[in-house]
Amino acid sequence: MLRLEKTKEKQNDILSLFGEVDASNSVILDEAIQEIIASGAKSILIDGQNLEYISSAGLGVFMSYLEDFQEQAISMKICGLTPRVYEVFRILGLDQLIPIYQDRAAAFAD
Amino acid sequence: MVKLPSIHIGKLSLLLSVLVWLALLFVDLVRLFGIINEIESGISDEFTWILEIIFFFTLYGFYSYSIGKNIQSDFLQLLWRAASTGIFASGVALITELFYFSMGDSKLATEPFLKNFFYHVNFALTTIFLISSALLWKHLILYQKNKQVVKQWQAFEFAMLLAMFFVFFNKNNFDYSFLFGMVIILVISIVLSGNLKWIPYLTFKEKWKSLLFLFLILLSTGYLFSRLLVYTQAKNYMVNLTDNLFLMALFGFIFIYAIFSFLVTLFNLPTSSVFEQKLTEAINFQRLSQSIQPEDNEEQVLDILLDSCMSASYSDGAWIEINPEEQNAGINQLRFLDEATKEDLSELIKTQKSATEWASTDRPEMLQPLLIRLEHPRYESILLIPLVINKTAIGRMVLCKEVRDGFNKEMINIISTFVRQACIAVENHRLMNQAIQNERYQEELKIAQRVQKALLPAKLDHPDSFEICAFSNAADEVGGDYYDTYKLDDNRYVLIIGDVSGKGTSAAFHMSQMKGVFHSLIQLNLSPVQFMIWANSALSKCLERNHFITASIFQINIKEQKICHSRAGHIPTLFYKAKEAKSEFLFFDGLGLGILRNKQYENHVQEKTFTYEPEDILVLITDGIVEAKNQKGNQFGFERIRSLVEIHHSKSARQIQNQLIDSLHLFVGGDGMIDDDYSMMVVKFQHSPV
Repeated sequence: MLRLEKTKEKQNDILSLFGEVDASNSVILDEAIQEIIASGAKSILIDGQNLEYISSAGLGVFMSYLEDFQEQAISMKICGLTPRVYEVFRILGLDQLIPIYQDRAAAFAD
Repeated sequence: MVKLPSIHIGKLSLLLSVLVWLALLFVDLVRLFGIINEIESGISDEFTWILEIIFFFTLYGFYSYSIGKNIQSDFLQLLWRAASTGIFASGVALITELFYFSMGDSKLATEPFLKNFFYHVNFALTTIFLISSALLWKHLILYQKNKQVVKQWQAFEFAMLLAMFFVFFNKNNFDYSFLFGMVIILVISIVLSGNLKWIPYLTFKEKWKSLLFLFLILLSTGYLFSRLLVYTQAKNYMVNLTDNLFLMALFGFIFIYAIFSFLVTLFNLPTSSVFEQKLTEAINFQRLSQSIQPEDNEEQVLDILLDSCMSASYSDGAWIEINPEEQNAGINQLRFLDEATKEDLSELIKTQKSATEWASTDRPEMLQPLLIRLEHPRYESILLIPLVINKTAIGRMVLCKEVRDGFNKEMINIISTFVRQACIAVENHRLMNQAIQNERYQEELKIAQRVQKALLPAKLDHPDSFEICAFSNAADEVGGDYYDTYKLDDNRYVLIIGDVSGKGTSAAFHMSQMKGVFHSLIQLNLSPVQFMIWANSALSKCLERNHFITASIFQINIKEQKICHSRAGHIPTLFYKAKEAKSEFLFFDGLGLGILRNKQYENHVQEKTFTYEPEDILVLITDGIVEAKNQKGNQFGFERIRSLVEIHHSKSARQIQNQLIDSLHLFVGGDGMIDDDYSMMVVKFQHSPV
């Protein structure tokens, strides 16, 4: 089960994730990010404080935008990950490529 | 030998009846001789009556056997049999009459013995006609019988049996008791004559024939009856055989049923086409409802549908059109119309507002047939019927008639039923095909599974100085986990474990690419970190945009007892140090393969070298094990793996692996499924042989 919520705060497009991202619903996540890009966002913050689990397919979604974002000068940050989910990002090495923050405040401050 | 009796029943009863008749004739002639010569013959009337009754019985036996044997549901044949017997009996009676008429008052004409002989012949033939007809009527009456009709017939037969013996009671006098018996039997006959269910099943032509036959039967019955009355009035016959309640009642019965049948058939003539039509519809319905075989095509069903609907509505022209986006758009069924007329009519239909509204409905399953009037020189009424399959309109059927308002409610009802049935047949056909296709896909997947199993090494390269075993299980038919070994030289061995993101078929394809990359690069004698850099570069060109692969590679040098390890985003490997009786997960930075598809990848991957001792253990795993969840939603996690290995470190590699897998299954729960591919490779170093 995955629920998405799009909000805006301090010129950041915030995408909050609730539940689990796996192979069956990673497409939904992908579509949501595409919509945000299409709306002309320049700074995207993924709020993962309610994200319970992310599978490799879900990580693949984030990874697939890395080059695009670099080219289009769009910044993507992730914040509020639970230790378990953060561990998944860290093992894969995505924490070296995507800035990950403790919470929204830390993300905005940077 | 066993069959003999059954063959002889008919012949036997026939022979018996002939003998009885001869006996009857003889007895009566002897009596007549006695009376004429004034000698008391001593033969009482009762003796004649008994012979007469036996004659009735034997005839009844013969005919019920012979009709029962040749029973066919051909009503015309039954009627013809009765009619021909009647004609024959009447013919003989007529010849007798003509004979006496031509004789005038000659001596021969008054000869009592000859007269009596002819009387007996006519009596026999009349009896044959009556009894055989009664039995033929029985078959007609009992056609589509129910319990009540069978009971009525049994009552009738019982009454006839009593009537046979009635002669002993009333001595062949025409009195009230005779009349009473007659009335009772006639009432039963009238009741029985209501059973005429066979008539509607005759076609128009057959009805005319049966009218003819019934007319002949009525005629013969009337004539034979009148002849008997003449005989009775003549009073020349010493014992009257024919003024018998049984025969009289049979006359009544045969006549009443024949007249009922005649009248009902006559009045059924005009409506017989309707009945024939309904019968055809029922047959068409049955043809439509027979499911099409998978190898047949849908056009055959539509073909039957169009013909059935046209005959049900007496249409003058019709066609079926399938929406262009449907798979069978090419179907072109056209009846009694040319393409040009069809185009004209289609254009005219388009001008009708109701038709365009009808066609653009968003709920085709609720669509009703639409009747429209057209200003066309020839076809004035049109009926549009949607063909709805699985809630989508695949097309429509158009029926045209030359008369205005040519379609009534009944026609539309039956057509709707036909269409529904045909659509169900087509839908079933499609489902069937789908099921067959699915089965083929399943087969393909099984092949893929077999091929993939072969991609994992059956035999793992290793020297005597370490034991190794591995295990892999896919969540679906195929999976994305990979492990392999390679012997660089006598002292150096390479182990690899990998995990493709996602699962199922796409992961399986990428897994096979990983195997190709491994076996190509490993021969270049690269260091683990170099291997990862080249693998990343190669896979960057192969992997789909949102796919990546994680891998851990170990180069084991058994001579130096050193391991060089590089990790590309893969789940850390557990390393158990026997000396310290402690284990740790080998974790350091390392980015998954295919995530950074450029030169920068080099900055995100590293290698570590460490030494090992005998009894040390390496446990390579994939994330399917760590992330396996139990019913409470807890993950199996790293710590369980670590403590299990620490507890069971003294066992062999195979035992440790089995222990881990068993614990994993126990953790997930009896019928719990692990929703991801999971694999494991266990290495245990040995004391070097002395």
